[in-house]
Amino acid sequence: MDTGMSPHQNKPHQSTPIRQKGLSAKHREWVAGYLFVLPDAIGLLIFLGLPMALSLVLAVFEVNGFGGYRFVGFANFVRMGKDPLFWQAARVTALYAVLLVPLLYVCGLGLALLVQKTNRFNAVMRAMFFAPHMVSLVVVAVVWQFMVVDKIGVINKLTPLLGISGISFLGDPQFALLTVVFVSLWFLMGFYMLIFLGGLQDIPKEYYEAAKIDGASPFHCFWYITLPLLKPTSFFVLMVSMVAAVAGAQAFDIIYVMTKGGPANSTAVLIVYIYQQAFSFGAFGYAAAMSSVLVIVLMLVTALFFVMTKGGRFSYD
Amino acid sequence: MSDIKTLGNGISRRQLIRKGALLTGAGMAAGLTGFPYINRMAVRAQAAPLKFWQFYAPGGQVKSQVDWFTKMIGDWNDSHDQKVELEYVPNAEYINGPKLATSFASGEGPDIFLISPGDFLRYYNGGVLQDLTPHIDDATKADFPESVIANRMVDGKIYGIPMEVEPMAMYYSVKAFEEAGLNENDVPKTWDELLEVARKLTTPNRYGVLFETTPGYYQNFTWYPFLWQGGGEFQTKDGKSAFDSPATVQALKFWQDAVNSGAAPRQVLGNGANDTVANLAAGYCAIQNVGIWGISQLAGNAKDFKYGVFKLPTPANGKYVTVGGGWAFVANAKGKSPDAAAQFCAWALASMDKDSVQRVADWCTKAKSDMPPRNSALQAGGDAFTQGNIGTFAKNIHPGTRAEPRVPPEVYKIISDAIQQSQLGGADPQQTATAASQQLDAFLASYSGAPIL
Repeated sequence: MDTGMSPHQNKPHQSTPIRQKGLSAKHREWVAGYLFVLPDAIGLLIFLGLPMALSLVLAVFEVNGFGGYRFVGFANFVRMGKDPLFWQAARVTALYAVLLVPLLYVCGLGLALLVQKTNRFNAVMRAMFFAPHMVSLVVVAVVWQFMVVDKIGVINKLTPLLGISGISFLGDPQFALLTVVFVSLWFLMGFYMLIFLGGLQDIPKEYYEAAKIDGASPFHCFWYITLPLLKPTSFFVLMVSMVAAVAGAQAFDIIYVMTKGGPANSTAVLIVYIYQQAFSFGAFGYAAAMSSVLVIVLMLVTALFFVMTKGGRFSYD
Repeated sequence: MSDIKTLGNGISRRQLIRKGALLTGAGMAAGLTGFPYINRMAVRAQAAPLKFWQFYAPGGQVKSQVDWFTKMIGDWNDSHDQKVELEYVPNAEYINGPKLATSFASGEGPDIFLISPGDFLRYYNGGVLQDLTPHIDDATKADFPESVIANRMVDGKIYGIPMEVEPMAMYYSVKAFEEAGLNENDVPKTWDELLEVARKLTTPNRYGVLFETTPGYYQNFTWYPFLWQGGGEFQTKDGKSAFDSPATVQALKFWQDAVNSGAAPRQVLGNGANDTVANLAAGYCAIQNVGIWGISQLAGNAKDFKYGVFKLPTPANGKYVTVGGGWAFVANAKGKSPDAAAQFCAWALASMDKDSVQRVADWCTKAKSDMPPRNSALQAGGDAFTQGNIGTFAKNIHPGTRAEPRVPPEVYKIISDAIQQSQLGGADPQQTATAASQQLDAFLASYSGAPIL
């Protein structure tokens, strides 16, 4: 029977998409999401993105610190390549990061495993492990400086009990960086413990129960359940601790207060050297060039790490 | 039903928008009428007090120094239309912090400020030091000994007026000497004697002698006399490096030997090796290499501590010489009123007026314990410069004073690294001196600022 309707109109009503006014629900959700992010994004753009861009521009100028600018192209970058102190600072930074990042991972995870069960004792222990993080970095550095001072520091009074004496923890280039790494670790590990605690609490208890029924030992449980399921947390901890080791506040504050980069430049990490160039010598252009290179290297390493670990996501292969 | 939705209080959205627009318009109009006021503020800013940044007052810890600065500013403000205002910056922030550097970088530097010879070239080469010469008469110029004023001058013009001369010496603890069976007759006169006495004074809780260990301008400053005593220099008269010399190697090795022998520490306490209270008076060391300011430090904070001073020992066949530091008033050539700022500096410290001379004498005798940078102030100080430990400085130590060198930051860093590497890094002094000399030559070949002295 001809109803006078086109074939298209003959299609069942359900299969005909009804065009709604405005955005689809999915798009509205996107827009809402971006609007929520917008204030933070604007803040980041103004207070991080813009200074970074300006720093990159500054890097191609010779700046005398008194309002004098002269375009020098890539001269500051060339100078960097020839500056032995820059390379020494880069080596010290790499060594500091290589020592600190794995230690932070192991100690943060270790502490989290120790205090993961919820009871009063563990609550106190968690607070104690996190407590250093609540103290000003400058105070931390000054207190440790007193504790490790030659001859009369409390640590130097205790080490003879272990058969070790006469060590200058901050005055000997062989020990100064290790001391700074230790203080940084002491300060930061409570923070990473908290992050790992969050990760551990996300792992369903049923996995452990099932493993125990199958006869798995605690080590097997850790190796085959805990560690794999902590991948996203581990990725986050490694990324953040690496950035902190290279450019974190503790890398500057602790070192600047405890050693000023000495003795003999043995603790002069890149950000301390950059600070010296900018604020002690007024070489703002050169400091900006070094800062730019540091940021670019950090971004590349982060991207590489992200790709290699697939962003710390679970693998279902 | 009407399209126009009403709000709770009966005002429609359209009405709200209209009223909002009216309010905005009124606000903008008010803002426009405010512009003249803003302009008036700009005019007022031009007549605003000149800012004098320093690390003594009004927030300083030493009352006599706060009083000296406050009185000086009061006297000036009472007699001049252009007022000056003190702005206190903590010492550590002033010397090592970013405040001064960032203020100049942003064109907001202070009108008047203090600099040491170590920093003179950075500011002079940056073009921010105002010529003070037009405000200083010839009689006053002659009142400053050449050795004191030379490193604040370029091409015969004065860019900084020193407020003090601070020669370096050695301080010793009488108690530590007595405990080691020593007395004032055992005060060392040569480097070898100093190391020997220091070893005798060293105990499980105390070092025999203390030199600065923290890298910085101050460490270089304290090391220069040991370089000079053997006839060493870091630069020849024709502007080439003179650092690779037996005198340099000898001076580097002397500090290295002191540390390696265990008689000198690798770390210093308190504010650094310039802090006599935290190191010498606290018993951390028995002898300390420090400047004349140690007298007022100990008088103020360790009154009962018994100590003596003696001049720097010399190497075998060496000649006695010490270094004299000290801060100077300078005016910002890019400040609000450079000429008025320069006039203030000259009025305060470089006039033959009785008050100006007495002000310098008071600073060196009452506010601090320093040697005066002017001959007239030395006379005005009278007995203060002949008695006690200051008398020892005036009579025995100060006559061998050589002015602190003024060097660009690059030269400072090369010398600093050489000292650090040999003193604490255990590097061979000869190789260190050679490597540093090559770096100096490379820098000096391209240096184009005011003469390095």
